[in-house]
Amino acid sequence: MANHVSEATLQAGPSVQQETGAYPKVRDRTFWSVLSDDKYYKWILLVPLLSVLLIFMLYPLFYCIWYSFHEFGMVKAATFLGLENYRDVLRDAEFWQALGRTGIVLVISITAELVIGMAVAVLFNREFNGQNPIRGLILLPLLIAPLAVSMMWNFFLQFDFGIVNLTLALVGIPKTSWFAPGVGLYTIAGISVWQWTPFSIFVLLAGLKSLPRDSFEAAKVDGASAWYTFRRLTLPNLAPLIMIIVLLRTMWLIRLFDPLYGTTRGGADTELLDWMIYRNTFVYFDIGRGSTLAVISLFLTMIVCGVLFRQLMKALSATSE
Amino acid sequence: MKRVLFWAATLLVVFTFVSPLVWMYLTSFKTNADIYTQDLVKMFFFSPILDNYVNLFTRTVFVRELINTFIISSASTILVMLVALPAAYSFARYETGHGHLLFVTISTRMFPAAVAAIPFFMAFKWLGLLDTRFALIILYLYFNVSFAVFLLYGFFREIPAELEQAATIDGYGRIDIFRKIIFPMIKPGAAITAIFCFIFSWNEFLYAFLFTRNMARTVTIGLASFWASGQVDWGTMAACVCLAILPTLAAAWFMQRYIIRGLTFGAVKG
Repeated sequence: MANHVSEATLQAGPSVQQETGAYPKVRDRTFWSVLSDDKYYKWILLVPLLSVLLIFMLYPLFYCIWYSFHEFGMVKAATFLGLENYRDVLRDAEFWQALGRTGIVLVISITAELVIGMAVAVLFNREFNGQNPIRGLILLPLLIAPLAVSMMWNFFLQFDFGIVNLTLALVGIPKTSWFAPGVGLYTIAGISVWQWTPFSIFVLLAGLKSLPRDSFEAAKVDGASAWYTFRRLTLPNLAPLIMIIVLLRTMWLIRLFDPLYGTTRGGADTELLDWMIYRNTFVYFDIGRGSTLAVISLFLTMIVCGVLFRQLMKALSATSE
Repeated sequence: MKRVLFWAATLLVVFTFVSPLVWMYLTSFKTNADIYTQDLVKMFFFSPILDNYVNLFTRTVFVRELINTFIISSASTILVMLVALPAAYSFARYETGHGHLLFVTISTRMFPAAVAAIPFFMAFKWLGLLDTRFALIILYLYFNVSFAVFLLYGFFREIPAELEQAATIDGYGRIDIFRKIIFPMIKPGAAITAIFCFIFSWNEFLYAFLFTRNMARTVTIGLASFWASGQVDWGTMAACVCLAILPTLAAAWFMQRYIIRGLTFGAVKG
């Protein structure tokens, strides 16, 4: 809209400018006046960002795609393989295992976070003394470095002297090795749940606090049960927020890496997708294979990201109205 | 009765999220004997010592790591803000690119970290930039810029466009509009965004791990190195964790109201 006004003033000359008053200072089309016209100005503002994006998006993208078609081990020159890398990876049981484990971690973590988060959000959805400090305390884990969190839990879950095993022993549960094959994956998911449940709690609480009151009062008058109200009114109203939680967490969990480094180091049947990329590229120096895995991982994320973006934009325009 | 139940549940929730942190801080003041003890009474009643902190500062390169992390995080945050502020303003005010460009921007944040790691490792190796602070500053610029743009985009949209139109009619130029109208209004949002970028850089591990060895290593690398050696020195590690997470705990406490908004890219106002 502002666009049209300014174009008109620039073309129609000084007299019209006086009338609309959009650009009183502009007399001739000097260099500066052209640049500060909305049409160009908005792009000039984007120049730094676009240059950053060009370098940091296109270069890695093309690099990975290019070498995913090659055999390249950093020592010899790359040789063209066509789709050989992709066929290899897709036939590799390890890849499907890593993908499956990533899926397991995704499902477990997100489900647990949503269920616990919803329960606590409903619990906190009232005014009570000390709600601000309590909220602050619960938010504490959220911003800690994931690596630090995993090392903390690594310490708590030590077999011999870890506080968790010692406490469980008090109630008669035998010591467990938390990072053994078959257990480790769930432990890592659990650590992630500990750190990220506060996120779900307060996103959902924000949603609960902004629910439309009148329909709930109507439901109460009609004598609807609490469970019925929750299922039929609360949940549908919170659906966009739940969607945002699921998508954001998916995005972060797909690239889970730090907690693995702080605990099992990809051993004990806990290798996830990002760790596999890391191992192939930086431990085995197999750039071709690493790039192939990276491209596949990117492809998976882009799908989620597309959906996420639409949800975020919807939420942003809903709240800024 | 209902009140009792409510407070019991609330205490349980608070205990779940706070007690691990408290335990970590307690551990950092324990001797090795107190750390390895199986006796629950001794675990809680011990005579606190500072040895772990002394070890951390004298026997490891923790000070250098702290300085590095601080320089890298601050420098990359400043760069991010310089790039993100004008871009977010352009997106918010003119809908430049009709949302498509915004999508491209946010999708860089969603790139699996490893996708960018491989090409940049090769590039930095070629340029001789491995194990320099500069490499990490640049990588964290990439890492945070899309997040900052998106968050600032939300903040800019809250500034009514009418204000600027009024100012234009009053004869303000572009620079004056920015200085006198936009900047004062975006300041709180910009501060929050900057703190988030700082924290994300502070916490980053994968790039720091791949791109530094010795000179430019950051706090998270120092942390990880405890776990790398055969015999883990849990006491010193606890001290290291406690100091490394201190800025993030402080940020979480003081930014309570904005954490959810930040982590949801501005979509949910917590």
